[in-house]
Amino acid sequence: MAKLTIDGVAIEVPDGTRLFDACTQVRGEALPHFCYHPDLSIAGVCRLCQVEIEGAPKLTIACNTVVRDGMVVHTRSERVRRAARQILEMHLINHPVDCPICDQAGECGLQDQYMIHGLYASEVAKSDKVLKLKAQPIGPHVILDKERCVLCSRCVRFCQEITKTGELGIFQRGDRAEIGVAPDRQLDNNYSLNTVDICPVGALTSRDFRFQKRVWLLRSVPSICPGCATGCNIRIDHEGGQVWRLRPRRNDAVNGPWMCDTGRLEYKRLHAGDRLSRPLVRRDGELREVEWREAWPELEQRLTAGKGKLALANPHQTVEELWLFKRLAGLFCGEDLTAGCLAGSDAAEGDQFLLDADRSPNRAALARLGLAARAPAQAAAQAVAGAPVLVYGGDPALADPALAAALGAAELIYFGTRLNATASRARIVVPLAMWAEKAGLFLNRQGRLQALRAAIARPETAREDWRFLAELLTRLGAGPQPATLALLRAEVGAAFGLPAAQDLDALPAEGLVLAPVTGAPAGGGR
Amino acid sequence: MAFALETLAKIGFMLLFMLSLLPALIWAERKGAAFIQDRTGPNRASILGIRLAGLVHPIADVLKLVFKEDVTPARAHRVLYSLAPFLVMSVALSTYAVIPFGDYLLVGGRQVPLVVADLSVGILYVLAVASLGTYGIVLGGWASRNKYTFLGAMRSSAQMISYEISMGLALMGVLLIFGSLRLTEIVAGQGALLFGLVPKWGVVVQPLGALLFITAVFAETNRTPFDLPEGDSELVSGYHLEYSSLRFALFFMAEYCNMVVGAALITTMFFGGWQVPWLPRQTLEQHGGALLTASLGLAAVVLAVAALLLMRRARRERGKFGDARDREPGLLGGVCAALALAAAAALLLRPWTIGPQAASVYATFAQVGAFIVKTLFFSWLFIWVRWTLPRFRYDQLMSLGWKIMLPLGLVNLAVTAVVMALS
Amino acid sequence: METTRIPAGTPVPGRPDSFRDVIYVWEVLRGLGITIRHLIRNCLHMKDLPTLQYPDEKRVYGPRFRGRHRLTQREDGSPRCVACMMCSTVCPAGCIHIIAAEHPDRRIEKYPAVYEIDLLRCVYCGLCEEACPCDAIRLDTGVYEIVADRRDKFVVGKEFLLNERERGTL
Repeated sequence: MAKLTIDGVAIEVPDGTRLFDACTQVRGEALPHFCYHPDLSIAGVCRLCQVEIEGAPKLTIACNTVVRDGMVVHTRSERVRRAARQILEMHLINHPVDCPICDQAGECGLQDQYMIHGLYASEVAKSDKVLKLKAQPIGPHVILDKERCVLCSRCVRFCQEITKTGELGIFQRGDRAEIGVAPDRQLDNNYSLNTVDICPVGALTSRDFRFQKRVWLLRSVPSICPGCATGCNIRIDHEGGQVWRLRPRRNDAVNGPWMCDTGRLEYKRLHAGDRLSRPLVRRDGELREVEWREAWPELEQRLTAGKGKLALANPHQTVEELWLFKRLAGLFCGEDLTAGCLAGSDAAEGDQFLLDADRSPNRAALARLGLAARAPAQAAAQAVAGAPVLVYGGDPALADPALAAALGAAELIYFGTRLNATASRARIVVPLAMWAEKAGLFLNRQGRLQALRAAIARPETAREDWRFLAELLTRLGAGPQPATLALLRAEVGAAFGLPAAQDLDALPAEGLVLAPVTGAPAGGGR
Repeated sequence: MAFALETLAKIGFMLLFMLSLLPALIWAERKGAAFIQDRTGPNRASILGIRLAGLVHPIADVLKLVFKEDVTPARAHRVLYSLAPFLVMSVALSTYAVIPFGDYLLVGGRQVPLVVADLSVGILYVLAVASLGTYGIVLGGWASRNKYTFLGAMRSSAQMISYEISMGLALMGVLLIFGSLRLTEIVAGQGALLFGLVPKWGVVVQPLGALLFITAVFAETNRTPFDLPEGDSELVSGYHLEYSSLRFALFFMAEYCNMVVGAALITTMFFGGWQVPWLPRQTLEQHGGALLTASLGLAAVVLAVAALLLMRRARRERGKFGDARDREPGLLGGVCAALALAAAAALLLRPWTIGPQAASVYATFAQVGAFIVKTLFFSWLFIWVRWTLPRFRYDQLMSLGWKIMLPLGLVNLAVTAVVMALS
Repeated sequence: METTRIPAGTPVPGRPDSFRDVIYVWEVLRGLGITIRHLIRNCLHMKDLPTLQYPDEKRVYGPRFRGRHRLTQREDGSPRCVACMMCSTVCPAGCIHIIAAEHPDRRIEKYPAVYEIDLLRCVYCGLCEEACPCDAIRLDTGVYEIVADRRDKFVVGKEFLLNERERGTL
């Protein structure tokens, strides 16, 4: 342990702590900085985090200094402040100050630092600034503006240390120094958009988000990426009922501060055109939009007419929904229960970092709830022609032609969000909510429960999944169902063997790791 | 047969008088309100550039109302809803039957009394018919099935009941003094002079009664400060809120008809009716020629002055608007000049030489003219008061009616009766 | 907060009612006198009435009057606007709708593909003018007669706002 004094406050930190972090602890806010990033190596190039250490002749950068016992540090002295202002002015010498057209404006380090530490009148005429290349696409997702760059080298270090692909480098010297991609290369790794996040200025911006929205207009909701079994923590940035971008949210137990580009573009599927918004019922061979009051009796009649043998769930549904669906399947199939999910759905190529080969976010929950996976051929065999078949989400008809034919021949009832190949074969289609439109829990590949939150509103005529399932169960005579999501979660928690005191509405920040399954799943149908 | 024709002619005259007065009153209301409030008032509607200072607006209004959609609320009582405006209008018009608008007219040597129906119980008829007017309002308000209209209707009936009593009591004094319920006799009685000096008008012998009666008539006609049934600030527009098009127009016109009726009643009961003050019929007939000549001369002079003023304005404001409106002053000046010339030409016919029969007709015209002038003044009083006083609060209205006017009316009646018994 | 109920009939504080006020008729006559004075004065001096005969006469506004907006142009006639959304962000009425797009000229980079102002929503506060970093929007046309016969016609687009000068309203 090292004892030191920062701004007159005595503090004790473990040996080897960076002075930068110790200062953050005392100040409550970070020192001004561009190049320092807790997940990257120290570069010490921006020189903004200089502090005054008693006994040292010059100011010292805090990021590249390790605490020493007995250090006396000043971070708010006039000398430090003047240094920060002068360094900032140097950073801005050749900066184009084109904030009006810069996507970074509003979350830009330069803007923030200038407002806190700068506020000087510029002495550099616009005509004297060194001009560099602007708006240059350097990869499928990233666009580079060399003029705005402050050469903090975060992106370069990210590509060397995190993705280990090394596409980026700093070329030239002096005021001509610039970030660039190596010749004949592109910034095309699957984590390239993280460079946009860590870029403290508007040098690297997202091609996807480019000019879409000013960031200060966006509202942000913490949630979980539905893209794969990793369950990266994200923020959903939305405005006007539309999601505009996803950003990673730090969770060191899952994804650190990163996420993959595949997951980042997952939001685009929210606004694809084939969204279901009204109940559909097949009449005269065609699916027609109906009102809910017409759909309900049809649903009840179909579900009670004859025992089905197949109820297919989907690993994209939340834990609570799957719990209710299992109850529904039990009611629907009776003893002859064949509820489960399709084996091998959502399989794709993964990497060794964040992107999992299983592109569904909640398969662990299916296993835990006893909704076993089955092969498409097996499912096709169980979908008896003329008998009711229940499919919840996904598009199993696309997985296997034989299954598609079997589903088409059966009395298919589909709950979902898309008018896909399965929905178009159904007798009744029920429109539900998409992942950004509802709250719920996902169980990731680590067995970690994490909370999904609603960001945008679903179409008025679509239902929230768990409410729909609960109402359907009530209508089918399954007795009273949980009236609130909290009560439903309490049921799920009990089924997972969690202590009653565990409030699933307020999970820990890093998620809740469930103990490995030891026997048959507890609970099930009532 | 002659009687029927005479009666029809008199009814025709009264209707014509009332209906032609309506646009003028509406105009006076708007223009008067505007000037009282330092505005210019309506001056836009024109026919070929002729605006007559806004007199064309009532015509435009009527046309607009005729062509508007006639809406009946979905849950209204259709029969009563349609009936109500007609009821209000017909009641307003039928009060006129007993109001004498002149002494008599000499037609072929016969004296034709200038009143549609000279009832022996004229005043009772007036009171009875006037209170029927509430039915139209109550029916209209109730049948509209709207809480605002209904509230307006309720207010109207409560107000009517409260003020009818004071109105009746105020008239009792006049009845005692002139000793008749017949309106013609009351008017005739007001022709005398008190102490050879002051006309023996109702207002002179019954000042308190006149004040009470005028106040009560304001309340009965639902005019400000007693327009609570309409109460636009709290009831939107009260009982006629749901009406549109011609039915609304009927309500609107009935209000002005009632106003004229009220003014005529005030004139008849308290301001000498058709009596020309200090000029009884004999005097008018004796000096018929001279008076006619003077009237014509005066008319010619006034018209000539008006023509001169208009012509001057036409010259001064040439090309002010750059459209048809520029022609207006010149045109009106021309008309005035023509009329002035006609009056002057009539003087050439030596009007001072007219015979006794013509003098009698002249006297009748003068008396009818006096009646019209007085009625117009009191109609204007309605307008004038409306743009001067704010509306009463409902409790103020009730306490004024029951706690002030009713006792005052009783005291007035008692004092009059005692004085009459003693003299 | 505790409220006290004032019993009905409590006199309103202020000047006590004089006998004249109580009689009321006197005050009515006085009121009638005031109104008729106004009427007569206005009849005799109609020219002094403050009413403006609007379409025939128009009020002269100061040079700082904020009328309908216009978008200023670059030398080539394209809008100076770079779609930075400062105006739509600052707009208290939320009447400015901009969709940005990539400009072929890399030095301009961003331009408004759609720039719409809902003139019915606008409160003509001029904050957009003040917020604009490019002097691209001004409210200096002096136009205040904003008339149309359909609601959607009040939503004016880029073309309309750019060509205010050609319409001769400036």
